[in-house]
Amino acid sequence: MPITRRTLTAAAVAALLVPLAACGSGDGDGGSSDASGKVEGEITFQTWNLRANYKDYFEDLIADFEKEYPGTEVKWVDQPAEGYADKISADAAGGTLPDVVNVSPDLVAPLAKAGLALDLDKDAAKYREEYLEGAWASHQIPGMEGTYAFPWYLNTGPLFYNKSLFEKAGLDPEKPPRTYDELFDTALELAEQSDGEVATLAQVPTIEDFGRYGVQLMNEKGDAFTFNDAKGVDMLTKYKELYDAGALDRQALTATPESTGKKFLTGAVAMNPGSAFDLGNFKKQAPNLYENIGITDQITSTGHVNMYVMGVMVNANTSKKPAAIAFAHYVTDAEHQMSFAKKVAIFPSTAGSLDDPYFTKEDDTDETRVRVASAKALKDAVNYTPVLFSEQMKTALRNQVAKALQGKESPKEALDNAVNECNQLLRQQG
Amino acid sequence: MASSTAPTGSRVRRQLPTSPWLFAAPGLLVIGAFILYPFVSTLVNAFTDRRTLVEGEFVGLANFRELLHDDMFWIGLRNSTLYVLGVVPALVILPLLLALLVQKNIPGITFFRSAFYTPVVASIVVVGLIWVWLLDERGLVNSLLETVGVGRIGFLSDQWLLLLSAMAVTVWKGLGYYMIIYLAALGNVPRELHEAAAVDGAGAVRRFLTVTVPAVRSTMVLVGALSSVAAFKVFSEVYLMAGPSGGPAGEDTTLVMLVQRTGTGLTGRVGYASAISVVVFVVTVALMLLVLRADRWEES
Repeated sequence: MPITRRTLTAAAVAALLVPLAACGSGDGDGGSSDASGKVEGEITFQTWNLRANYKDYFEDLIADFEKEYPGTEVKWVDQPAEGYADKISADAAGGTLPDVVNVSPDLVAPLAKAGLALDLDKDAAKYREEYLEGAWASHQIPGMEGTYAFPWYLNTGPLFYNKSLFEKAGLDPEKPPRTYDELFDTALELAEQSDGEVATLAQVPTIEDFGRYGVQLMNEKGDAFTFNDAKGVDMLTKYKELYDAGALDRQALTATPESTGKKFLTGAVAMNPGSAFDLGNFKKQAPNLYENIGITDQITSTGHVNMYVMGVMVNANTSKKPAAIAFAHYVTDAEHQMSFAKKVAIFPSTAGSLDDPYFTKEDDTDETRVRVASAKALKDAVNYTPVLFSEQMKTALRNQVAKALQGKESPKEALDNAVNECNQLLRQQG
Repeated sequence: MASSTAPTGSRVRRQLPTSPWLFAAPGLLVIGAFILYPFVSTLVNAFTDRRTLVEGEFVGLANFRELLHDDMFWIGLRNSTLYVLGVVPALVILPLLLALLVQKNIPGITFFRSAFYTPVVASIVVVGLIWVWLLDERGLVNSLLETVGVGRIGFLSDQWLLLLSAMAVTVWKGLGYYMIIYLAALGNVPRELHEAAAVDGAGAVRRFLTVTVPAVRSTMVLVGALSSVAAFKVFSEVYLMAGPSGGPAGEDTTLVMLVQRTGTGLTGRVGYASAISVVVFVVTVALMLLVLRADRWEES
């Protein structure tokens, strides 16, 4: 049969419309955009690189939820760690953001500003008391009212150090540094004793380091960065001394967490931050190092360690708001956070959970020692990374720090430039 | 019978314009959706202050004016230009020499041809990681240098050495690809020409310069054009070796890396990144025209 123009036009229109039709919201299967409505309908839950190791946990969790709330269906999608922010960006820009999304505070901020994150202080305030106050506040955005994600798991890491390198340098391996001033002294000593062969650190200071050094990162209003104050300059000046002495690895300017971890494994670097998860890695990949491993608290001059917070956000435009809120709460409630914490080295953000014997009673294993110490530190830990500190700002700070370390700019000039760049980016974010 | 089923003349005329479009439609749709639409969209965005989650407004040439005062843009332009200058001559000449080496049909030559081509099919991520391990301060290359008394060299910590190392990887990875193109061209060079030159007393170098090079000149122009466009748009090698921040203090950032860094993420400045992309496009087209024009000057 010959194809006429009319047939072709009809086919083209159908070809265009069929996929467009598939993009519809599909509201016909129940659900409600009102938070107080019935918990029902199909929702999508997106996690961040969790399927590979915790598939069974999440499948059971979803099955339990669906059983508890008949008429609900949760579709679970997991995205790889690499490019997660880009995936969310594409979904957010394309209007295909899942109903419930695993986020970190810095991801929540732009989504909340774009009106895509649900304000839980309005729609889920009744759950607020279930969480640690600091954890709940971690998804609040300076300059905005409200809280934009349920706090999920917390993490903090100990600092690992190589005892044999300490001994070789004539340092007491049982007395690792605890504050930045002690760290700088130890690092210079190690570099001197090893003739510049052993660096203590392999990463340039990040915004968290400035925070733990006691630098004021932002002004009180939260609309400008201030880490170029005298304390910030002092810290960067000390890092420059370390770099010149070989106490900060020469490749630190281009290092990634993976590359520094490798250097620690090979004994090229004496100290490296990590988590309880890393112990198994040391045991398997570097048995010699594992025998000489020292574990101490994060370096801090403020008395508070840094904590990382994961959250679960509800899409403000979801058509199944009650189900999405109920599921986000279900994932993050005390019972489920506790059961997840027993599967992986993370810590619950729910009030009272850290007092569970699992986090307070030590046995003779290093794993438990790290867990108990981290849980204790988390009780008054601070999330030092400002929620408005974007990837572009991290790069701007890193590049200016590198210029100071190379001697191309003074520490003061470098931090002034970094603050100017970050403030400009902040203004552009709106 | 035949006349009753054959289409009439008018029907043939009516069908003719339709069928070719129908056959071309899948290809056109793909080109439209994945090339034309993004291209036009980038052009439009370049004149707006669009961000990832904010539509943005028309800002005229503001993005391009900002580029002029952006140090990182000039660093990117410098590095991308240096990349072309460093990589293109190597990729025009070395694969030709390699092709001459493996052109002869001697036993076992297929193994060498395959070996030289292997880097082309290897994943750039794997290749990048291997070279990072090799060039690390405690890697194989530095250990060898230390053994022979040269001492360690900061291939991955010095901005210029880093850029050179990335160029070396690009050349190493591209040799096999361009070698195949040259092999095809060399197959068309008449053997008689070489024989005649040899009879006239020309040595190997003379024959290469006066017979081989003129015979494959158009292929060299093609290789020059292809490799210069690829070199100006370099991303993976530098990103993998210098890290996401673009080397020490970002001094190894290339223009495409800058596009990626500026325009992606939830706070990405899509409008500004589009303006950089437009500059990359214009320079790339200019490079192509330059190479082709150079060839014409040579011919005339």
